[in-house]
Amino acid sequence: MKVAVKGTSYCLNHTPELAFHYGNTPYVERKTKGDSEFLRELASHLQSYARAASYAPNLAYIGAMGLDELEKYPQPWLENLAAEPARYGRFGEIMPEDEFLGLMDISDVFDIIWLEENFSAAVAEKLRKNPVIPETLLGRLEKGHALQEIEREVSEKDALPLYFESKVVGCSRKGHEIDECLEAYVLLENVACKAGGVLALLHLLRNTGLKPEEIDFVIECSEEAAGDMNQRGGGNFAKAVAEIAGCVNASGCDVRGFCAGPVNAVIAAGSQVAAGARKNCVVLAGGAIPKLFMNSRDHVKKGLPALEDCLGNFAILLGEEDGVSPVIRLDALGKHSVGAGASPQAITSALVWEPLQKLGLGFNDVDKYAAELQNPEITLPAGAGDVPAANFKMIGALAVMKGQLEKSQIPEFVRQKGIPGFVHTQGHIPSGVPFVGHACEWIKAGTIRRALIIGKGSLFLARMTNLSDGASFFIEPAEAVKSTQAVSREDIKRLLLEVLSEVASSLKAE
Amino acid sequence: MGRLAGKKVVLLGERDGVPGPAMEACLKNSGADIVFSVTECFV
Repeated sequence: MKVAVKGTSYCLNHTPELAFHYGNTPYVERKTKGDSEFLRELASHLQSYARAASYAPNLAYIGAMGLDELEKYPQPWLENLAAEPARYGRFGEIMPEDEFLGLMDISDVFDIIWLEENFSAAVAEKLRKNPVIPETLLGRLEKGHALQEIEREVSEKDALPLYFESKVVGCSRKGHEIDECLEAYVLLENVACKAGGVLALLHLLRNTGLKPEEIDFVIECSEEAAGDMNQRGGGNFAKAVAEIAGCVNASGCDVRGFCAGPVNAVIAAGSQVAAGARKNCVVLAGGAIPKLFMNSRDHVKKGLPALEDCLGNFAILLGEEDGVSPVIRLDALGKHSVGAGASPQAITSALVWEPLQKLGLGFNDVDKYAAELQNPEITLPAGAGDVPAANFKMIGALAVMKGQLEKSQIPEFVRQKGIPGFVHTQGHIPSGVPFVGHACEWIKAGTIRRALIIGKGSLFLARMTNLSDGASFFIEPAEAVKSTQAVSREDIKRLLLEVLSEVASSLKAE
Repeated sequence: MGRLAGKKVVLLGERDGVPGPAMEACLKNSGADIVFSVTECFV
């Protein structure tokens, strides 16, 4: 009941102009109030790519900085940028906006994205230098359209303009005359999510050395809905992403659950592998355009840069145990059930205490907990608090209630067992899974032996239930699992033989 | 029955703090009239 984490990838797409025009907060402001003072002010708070690629939490996300290094890094992080920007890290990259618009066009199979011809040519040259983008994909980039054609599509056919350096460089077109599920905004959001998933998958293939055709199944777990007016969320992103990345032997499906989606998707994929149904399963997600600049009103008010300017993507490869790759325990999963209750202690109990009990462990047997991992420099100015710290304190408080920790030890427990929030407020992205890459590195290095990954999803936002959801899983070293397996099989067999041999000897003696 | 008896109460919960249903459970025997309860997510 274990599955190996064979590899991970984590990428950001730095998209301040998509954020400025189509992030939900500025988009709704523009629709309802026109050119407001907030929007005029927001325009001067956009960050450059160089700043975003020098920002310590972003570097930690792509693996250009360790989490231990981030913990010691001088704060505030936004005033202590790294000496040099880093585009690539051990897990992935921070892709600039012009190249990401190009990747969106590459990922588009319905001629939704149009790019201006000179812009497209310039982007092609830049994408050619990207080590994960093969020539076959570059061949999918359109030659482009004349600017007048794009302007006509915007003014006459409800297309949405795409910008780079404040100039129109393309547009996102609608997919149907009257279907609201296929209007230009929805398709822009969905193509961006798909392109982010493609980038994460390409980096995952590079990080693991796997060929695209070796992938058997993809589970996508973003928060977007692909469908039409007859089936709003019919799906699916997974197979669409696999197609672009050349995974010809893969199929796929989508798993949803707000921020609990990724953890539930890992469990779903891991279970398929452990059951022997499929060999190499990928869990992935692209980012959410509407979440960009979500808290920008507060960032502007407080004179801060509009920090929520990156789409977040990730991909995780799950496969059979190999004795090297860290493993996920499928025999001790956390589940926030319908009847578990909504209080913080009930939720934490379901996601932490109950899986610990399944393994006969205590709170101190976990070296690192990873719940919501939002960057506090984004959330604190908006009044949403330090979400990771709040979650770690709640786990500590539950340990006190269970008599496993003194109340006075909570701050030290949080310091030792928690990790700094380093992830963009991209909904499903911060929920536990960004730690999987770092956790696997630490487990392989022997720095930690066990991590608990926790996802919590706000189901109530969809107005179908008042409940939230949650799920969790442990990651442990491969070696420990091997020795546990030996105890359950070989050792017991040997023990039985010894006992039988003793019985036989005693019978002979009689 | 406490000092909230007969009072109209609006509950605004937060997912990573105290959710609405948890506050409703606490006020169950207070005699308060819960006219609105919601949980929101601010991240």
